[in-house]
Amino acid sequence: MAPIGDGPDYDLVVIGGGSGGLAAAKEAASLGAKVAVLDYVTPTPKGTRWGLGGTCVNVGCIPKKLMHQAALLGDAIEDSQSYGWQFSNPENIKHDWGILRQAVQNHVKSVNWVTRVELRDKKVDYINGLGLFKDAHTVQTTTKQGERTITSKYFLIAVGGRPRYPNIPGATEYGITSDDVFSLEDSPGKTLVIGAGYIGLECAGFLRGLGYDATVMVRSVVLRGFDQQMAGLISAAMEERGVKFLRKCVPKSIEKAIDGKLLVKWTSENGQEFGDTFDTVLFAIGRRALTREMQVEKAGVQVAGDGEKIDAVNEQTNVPHIYAVGDVLYKKPELTPVAIHAGRLLARRLFGNSTVQMDYENVATTVFSPLEYGCVGISEEVALQRYGEDNVEIYHAYYKPTEFFIPQRSIAHCYIKVIAKRGGDQKVLGMHFIGPQAGEVIQGFAAAMKCNLTMNALMSTVGIHPTIAEEFTRINVTKRSGKDPNPASCCS
Amino acid sequence: MYFKLTSKYINTQIRNYVRNLSLSSHLNRLITIKSNDEFLNKVMNSENPVIVNFHAEWCEPCHILTPKMMELVQHHDSIDLAVVDVEHHAELVHTFEVKAVPAVIAVKNGVVVDKFIGLVNSDMIENLINKLDKKNT
Repeated sequence: MAPIGDGPDYDLVVIGGGSGGLAAAKEAASLGAKVAVLDYVTPTPKGTRWGLGGTCVNVGCIPKKLMHQAALLGDAIEDSQSYGWQFSNPENIKHDWGILRQAVQNHVKSVNWVTRVELRDKKVDYINGLGLFKDAHTVQTTTKQGERTITSKYFLIAVGGRPRYPNIPGATEYGITSDDVFSLEDSPGKTLVIGAGYIGLECAGFLRGLGYDATVMVRSVVLRGFDQQMAGLISAAMEERGVKFLRKCVPKSIEKAIDGKLLVKWTSENGQEFGDTFDTVLFAIGRRALTREMQVEKAGVQVAGDGEKIDAVNEQTNVPHIYAVGDVLYKKPELTPVAIHAGRLLARRLFGNSTVQMDYENVATTVFSPLEYGCVGISEEVALQRYGEDNVEIYHAYYKPTEFFIPQRSIAHCYIKVIAKRGGDQKVLGMHFIGPQAGEVIQGFAAAMKCNLTMNALMSTVGIHPTIAEEFTRINVTKRSGKDPNPASCCS
Repeated sequence: MYFKLTSKYINTQIRNYVRNLSLSSHLNRLITIKSNDEFLNKVMNSENPVIVNFHAEWCEPCHILTPKMMELVQHHDSIDLAVVDVEHHAELVHTFEVKAVPAVIAVKNGVVVDKFIGLVNSDMIENLINKLDKKNT
């Protein structure tokens, strides 16, 4: 299609039409670059596939938040009775998985469509094919129209990742992952979630909230990489809600039981063997970057120590004209807003004469477990390791959300923690919040931390009452003092 | 009593017959667009004014609007209703700058004379239809 010998086909070819790739593509196009986006979804072992938009839109953030909301609404219906709402048959309120699934998928499809329309409007070429590097300057792909080779001045690797399957019998034949759960035809039923990172906890959380029997199998720790005290509170909160935890257990095999259900066998810490049947087994044991599938080695791009992610410097790989953004990056937060922001800044540097680099520090995030956990900055473990116990002050408090009293919701795990440098104005290093609407609560504090928030400033901020976010302005008990972090009462 | 029943019965039968008549003739004027050529022929080059309804399967408001449009257009003999599935007609979507569904455009003599986006109330739809009809006379 391109005139022969006239230079590369495009200024920028983006491989991967997800959060990072699309953000970079649209920004580059708006700055006048000729851009193409390749996006392709290899079906899951179950056969699930989805449209343009990447993980977040199709099998991540968006459907997750919708299902989390569905589960929370179930709680709200129950709580509403103590607030005076009357139902004819309150014991018989149940949930229809099919209706939720359809609603979620309809929304996802609408986002797929808007994404495609946006690309067309911004004159970005969308190619629905798996992009492979042929050499450092050429990508080849096969679409419905046939094979194509594409040359470009710059390439952006934004292929993201996919869930891992363990190497045990029956894993791929009988197990599903987060790639499948949001479009499951049949209701999931009694589910075993293997993996206790945020994906595993969030899935088990909303499944339980919708009324299903949910169990989480944990190999070692819950929410590895997160503040472990907060992780402990989150799993305790989930247990209180009926999610079962199989701690320090490793799955051994999955097979079909005589009644058609799935028989899972596992070993516990002391080597004892156990088994149980489930309707669904969901693996959430981690995700792998898709660099192997795109043959990065043919372009000379090096991968990091783990063998698959890319250790880029300012999003540039070891090959100067090949860049990378998003989940595929080594030791960078795997979050949609991070990919989008980094992608946009990169496009501005490549085509807009900008010199602004992405700041990966103090990125706020939230785990959408039934009782949510939001945080920004470092964990207590990292703070102690980096600065030493003597140089760190940890403020903490349990609190009681006003709305929880009437329906008598458990407040046992409503807890906040602020980690600050000791001495002087006490610069805030990390803020951690467990409670409802954690994401909404923490977002503003992320901006405060960007402005080098100090305990001085935080404590002189007047709170909004009655809210749960105001607890951050009331915090005053330190771990060092040994005083009771439980609240006496409200308004004092 | 018997006399009243009979005439009531006959009236009902007549009413049903007439309703079915207009329904079937309306169904003839409901065009499901399958190609760009069809759009050109039956919408842009149509002698009748045409209301083009951009529709998507995954769009809940579309499932409410499309039947409502069919119902309201029924009373206007000269107006046709064309339905375009946005998933299968990317070019039409682009040409008419459809950014959201449901979207409705009114075409007369090959020119777009009116447009609305989203699920609107019956009054707005009636206005659009009447505008088309008025220009006819």
